[in-house]
Amino acid sequence: MEGASYQRFPKVKIRELKDDYCKFELRDTDASMANALRRVMIAEVPTIAIDLVEIEVNSSVLNDEFIAHRLGLIPLTSDRAMSMRFSRDCDACDGDGQCEFCSVEFHLRAKCINDQTLDVTSKDLYSSDHTVVPVDFSDSSSGFDNTEQRGIIIVKLRRGQELRLRAIARKGIGKDHAKWSPAATVTFMYEPEIHINEELMETLSLEEKTSWVESSPTKVFDIDPNTQQVVVVDPEAYTYDDEVIKKAEAMGKPGLVEIYAKEDSFIFTVESTGAIKASQLLLNAIEVLKQKLDAVRLSEDTVEADEQFGELGAHMRGG
Amino acid sequence: MVGYSSAPPDYEPLKELVKHHIESFDHMVSYGLETMLVSISPVEVFDPFTKKKLRIWFEKPQLFRPQKDGISRRMHEALYPFECRQANITYSGKFLADVCFQYGNGAVIREKFNFGQFPIMLKSNLCHLRGANPQKLVSRKEESSEMGGYFILNGIERVIRLIILPKRNYPMSMVRNSFRDRREGYTDKAVVIRCVREDQSAVSVKLYYLNNGSARLGFWIQGREYLLPVGVVLKALADTTDHEIYVSLTCFYNEKHGRGKGCVGTQLVGERVKIILDEVRDLSLFTRIQCLQHLGEYFQPVMYGMENKSYFDVANAVLRGYIFVHLENNQDKFNLLIFLLQKLFSLIDHTSEPDNPDSLQNQEVLLPGHLIIIYLKEKLQDWLEKAKRLLDEEINNESKTFDFTSLAHVKKIMDKNHPKQIGLAIENMLKTGRLATLSGLDLPQRAGMTVQAERLNFLRFISHFRAVHRGASFSGLRTTSVRKLLPESWGFLCPVHTPDGEPCGLLNHMTCSSRITSYYDSQGNVRDFFKMRMSILSILVGVGMAPSLPKLVQAGPPEVLSVLLDGRVVGFIPSDIVEKAVNHLRRLKLSETAGIPADLEVGYVPLSMGGTYPGLYLFTSPSRFVRPVRNISVPPEKNNDIELIGPFEQVYMEIRCADGGDGGRGNSLPATHEEIHPTGILSVVANLTPWSDHNQSPRNMYQCQMGKQTMGFSSQAIHCRADQKLYHLQTPQTPIVRTKAYEKYSLDEFPLGTNAIVAVLAYSGYDMEDAMVLNKSSVDRGLCHGHIYQTETIDLAQRGGRSDRSQRIFRRSNLDKPVHSLIDSDGLPYVGQTINPNDPYCSVYNEVTSTTKTTKLKGLEPVVVDYVAVDAKSNRNLQKVNIRLRRSRNPIIGDKFSSRHGQKGVCSQLWADIDMPFSGVTGMRPDLIINPHAFPSRMTIAMLLESIAAKGGCLHGNFVDATPFSSSVKKAGGESESESSSLVKELGSMLAERGFNYHGLEVLYSGVYGTELTCEIFIGPVYYQRLRHMVSDKFQVRSTGTVDQVTRQPIKGRKRGGGIRFGEMERDSLLAHGAAYLLHDRLHTCSDHHIADVCSLCGSILTTSLIHQPQKRAVREIGGLPPGRAPKKVFCTACQTSKGMETVAMPYVFRYLAAELAAMNIKMTLQLSNGAGA
Repeated sequence: MEGASYQRFPKVKIRELKDDYCKFELRDTDASMANALRRVMIAEVPTIAIDLVEIEVNSSVLNDEFIAHRLGLIPLTSDRAMSMRFSRDCDACDGDGQCEFCSVEFHLRAKCINDQTLDVTSKDLYSSDHTVVPVDFSDSSSGFDNTEQRGIIIVKLRRGQELRLRAIARKGIGKDHAKWSPAATVTFMYEPEIHINEELMETLSLEEKTSWVESSPTKVFDIDPNTQQVVVVDPEAYTYDDEVIKKAEAMGKPGLVEIYAKEDSFIFTVESTGAIKASQLLLNAIEVLKQKLDAVRLSEDTVEADEQFGELGAHMRGG
Repeated sequence: MVGYSSAPPDYEPLKELVKHHIESFDHMVSYGLETMLVSISPVEVFDPFTKKKLRIWFEKPQLFRPQKDGISRRMHEALYPFECRQANITYSGKFLADVCFQYGNGAVIREKFNFGQFPIMLKSNLCHLRGANPQKLVSRKEESSEMGGYFILNGIERVIRLIILPKRNYPMSMVRNSFRDRREGYTDKAVVIRCVREDQSAVSVKLYYLNNGSARLGFWIQGREYLLPVGVVLKALADTTDHEIYVSLTCFYNEKHGRGKGCVGTQLVGERVKIILDEVRDLSLFTRIQCLQHLGEYFQPVMYGMENKSYFDVANAVLRGYIFVHLENNQDKFNLLIFLLQKLFSLIDHTSEPDNPDSLQNQEVLLPGHLIIIYLKEKLQDWLEKAKRLLDEEINNESKTFDFTSLAHVKKIMDKNHPKQIGLAIENMLKTGRLATLSGLDLPQRAGMTVQAERLNFLRFISHFRAVHRGASFSGLRTTSVRKLLPESWGFLCPVHTPDGEPCGLLNHMTCSSRITSYYDSQGNVRDFFKMRMSILSILVGVGMAPSLPKLVQAGPPEVLSVLLDGRVVGFIPSDIVEKAVNHLRRLKLSETAGIPADLEVGYVPLSMGGTYPGLYLFTSPSRFVRPVRNISVPPEKNNDIELIGPFEQVYMEIRCADGGDGGRGNSLPATHEEIHPTGILSVVANLTPWSDHNQSPRNMYQCQMGKQTMGFSSQAIHCRADQKLYHLQTPQTPIVRTKAYEKYSLDEFPLGTNAIVAVLAYSGYDMEDAMVLNKSSVDRGLCHGHIYQTETIDLAQRGGRSDRSQRIFRRSNLDKPVHSLIDSDGLPYVGQTINPNDPYCSVYNEVTSTTKTTKLKGLEPVVVDYVAVDAKSNRNLQKVNIRLRRSRNPIIGDKFSSRHGQKGVCSQLWADIDMPFSGVTGMRPDLIINPHAFPSRMTIAMLLESIAAKGGCLHGNFVDATPFSSSVKKAGGESESESSSLVKELGSMLAERGFNYHGLEVLYSGVYGTELTCEIFIGPVYYQRLRHMVSDKFQVRSTGTVDQVTRQPIKGRKRGGGIRFGEMERDSLLAHGAAYLLHDRLHTCSDHHIADVCSLCGSILTTSLIHQPQKRAVREIGGLPPGRAPKKVFCTACQTSKGMETVAMPYVFRYLAAELAAMNIKMTLQLSNGAGA
């Protein structure tokens, strides 16, 4: 077999970028690459989340485990996460949280002393490291009026109830527990390619056209008010639900439209929990993916696997 | 679509559900006790020396609110239910009554007797929580929606079960083969009437038909049935002539009608009456006095306390106490007996049908208050009789100095017969559900009268109050006729909500709309039955009824119909005006001013050809089922068109469904009534299934089962409770798709599940056969997280012997330092501490032996100490503590889940989020994957509808109403409730509006490959319930472990770490496969493998014995090798040699068998040979 190179040079084009939202195109690669990116973004980009909770006083209505669980799910700003160590790999400590390389300590003290219910929120968590703090949504440009909101509610206290605890946040990945997942949503779709058979389309009356256009639940097609021609207004709104194709068949006009998915171009939507900026999430993901590939390449197993897989092994090592 | 209201919830509908429990208890407290005490006949003690008579009877019962045994006598502190629950004591109040003594005709002396502690029903009018608003309830550490209706006994909540009884005061004709066995000459036919006194005690009377044409009246006195010739009873009841009896009995036959419609009499009746009268004459009884004398003579030996009375008095007592006890007047009894005979004769002549005792038409229900009062009556009666016996004994005992005339002496004797045992007897009855009675109280069963009101979740709890049991005696019956769903129970018992399996059809549940009549009217005022009956009578007479006294009418059906009001023949009404009268009565029922109770049952049985015996049967009595329907003969504007109807009258009424159609009845029988809403035929639990009208019916039944096993939010006052076991869901949600009943019964207070995004596809293969795949990240984020709260009560007073009670205190040992991290210095665990299995959590110190004993945690999972409560009642050391432990139960593989449509499944994998399929548009990954094969055969269409509807509801931000049958309800405008023609259309367009597929399908991409799945996937939110069956409570695994002492085989039982039996059938299957090695491994190597020494000379395995050689054990330790075992020296004690010893592998039980046989003098010998020489 000739050493034909399958190497491609994927391109990324960012369409929209906000702190917690990103939409970009990924071109000139295949589904495995796109999906790997998605999977890494969800499950393997490290973040920091509260992992150990030591409760000193808890007279709230929620039990200790419940509060600990809720604390764990609070997103913490994790820009430092990539440079931190996993507590299990940390040589400087034995993972008890006293170490700057692998952990961040939090304190929470709240007591309700008047008759009004006290909301204990993520803002009441005091961090030992100013770079790792609960995510603050109030300054984000999400459009909400956040003057009232004081962060994420942990528990509500009534008069006399108290909550006092020490929490240790650690680096982790979403594979281990969903609390370490930096991504709220990562999804991609294949870019559709829509060809309307104009000749056939012309045989339709305006009413038929309208009903055909409306058969798609999303607004992909529209009728030009001037020419009364069916035009594609938003190909990416197409969800591959085949509704229009089925409709065309039902109207007795099969082949009215042909829709293909481009196999090598993807439109990604990334929403971050706030732990990492969406753009950073993507970069970190690529970094992690690279590290993983390096691990495959360098691992001794692959040398052994070489014999097993023969040429494929060589290919895997970047041959 | 339904908006969400934030108004404070209205708990009235919930209270309505348990009203029958509370009202019956209330009536017992305020009136029933008094009536009952009066009806207990006084006892008389006669002293032959002083010739004085002492009459003793009861008066003036007094029941107090529950109080704490005060520290001082003056201060009385209220005892609240939550304290009872936590301290494991009974919520009871003091029960006092006056015992009245009267010597001869002297002055009446009253003495208050304390009859002990009487359990009080929660929220009855003696309960401290009565009338408390939600705020107060919460401050009393109850649920804000607490409804009461149950008792607290030793800290456990118990409800009295509603049991079906035959309808009171209604003569039922029955055909039963067992009647033949009564005595020679009896037929299988009889008319039976269960007569109930004012104080709720009942006596059933049976009128048997004899082969010779006569009849016998049978009733039970003290466990024996007495059968009287009916003629004697007739004559004893009224001063009449034979002719008069003859005329009364034969009047319902008239030759001119022949065998036309509604004719029940035949010419044979005359012959039978002659036989009856001849029988009396043969006994040479002619006058009433003679008959009474005859009865008195016959019954004197069995009537207790009437030994010295005249025959005349005895006979009257029998008539009063056993024959038609619901009537006081002998003339009324006579009339009723005549009616019974006529009904019996018509049954014999097949001019009327037997009544079906299994039909709800002829049934009523036993209410808690009524049960308690009849039981209490018997207990008090027994107590009084025993007191009399004791006094009699004391009088006859000459050696003692007993002054009969001194009340102090009499009281002293009576105190020997502890009055407090009365309260205790009631408490025990409620605790165990067993009636300790000889007479049986005319009830169908003696055990199982109460059940524990488990708060597993709210649905289970509420169902206990709505459950109606057919009677324990029927569960053993082989026939299925009693379990049948009969059309008569329409609207009263839920056809869906009955368990499948053993109690199927016997344990039914009342529909949400049905109620049970009580002594209270809808305003809560006590009914005056006498006044009610009088006004009914006057109305009937006004309409044209001829009263039975004076007896002017000598006719019967079809000319006139007998009118029975609560089992009394009040008159005769011409059959041509009866319909008008019935309609008139029904109209008066609706008006509040007429003095006719709203729940009067107008059972008009029309004339028919051989149907039920005709008549007009009116019932005002309590404990009947009633349900509301709309009377359409009344103009709807008047707003009082809701009529309460009973199951007896329902059968003869024309009630149409509310869908606007006529139900195919045409013009011949126009409907007079209309159902209010079709969901009225479903129970509360069945009403919660969304769109249950789109499901296959068994699935709805399964959901009723599973809804009650769901881990939900069982209690809001969980921190103040000490239940043995409580299941608790950490993050419950309110369903997006819900029925109207959900809000009506404020179930948001006790939610039961989670809205999970469910994808229906075959993915990963782990969703086969009703397994389901859960998304691991969803579980990480808290999906279906739960806890089990378990309370351990440690009561030093109860443990151990009586001797060392006072010597033990809670304290930890100072020596055992490692325990200090788990147990505080008071001997109790730290709150919030995690305890691992086999760790101690409580330490008790014995002051005399100065030893400490710790209680260790059982089970296999770590627990957290949730709460420690101490009972500080005793001022000395603590004696009792409750330790509440919390087990965290987050979903793991093997836990059971179910949707609300009887679709249960077991979690088979916690699948990684990234491997789950995802939607390209929204990026959503499902929380849960189920297999599409769950749908075709089960046909739970409503689950699909729920998924679509919930998706639409989410997108639009509102709840979706899923009340079943709402398409078949016509609105005031005449249209059906849902505007659009089809439900699916409506739901689908909700999705399409928001750019989703009309059918709820979505294009998903494989999470593993990132490629589009080849077909569109049905995905949407479905409300999922987590069931209480969890692997952690069920798994059983063993490699090695404890073995049985005798057989050396592995023991059984999960708790003890035993194995699962590999039985004959399993063995057979291995044999069939020829898996010999595996078979050997299972049944021998892994079981009781044993190497026995056998003496080949005598063939015995029992006579061999090991010789202990004198210590010659060569200690040779060659490096790396285990110490070599010295060759065993075995010796046969029978043969006195060690020659010919062989070792044979065998099951140890074989040796045991040999030993057992030897014990029976049977010798077993083994013949050994090597394989070749066999």
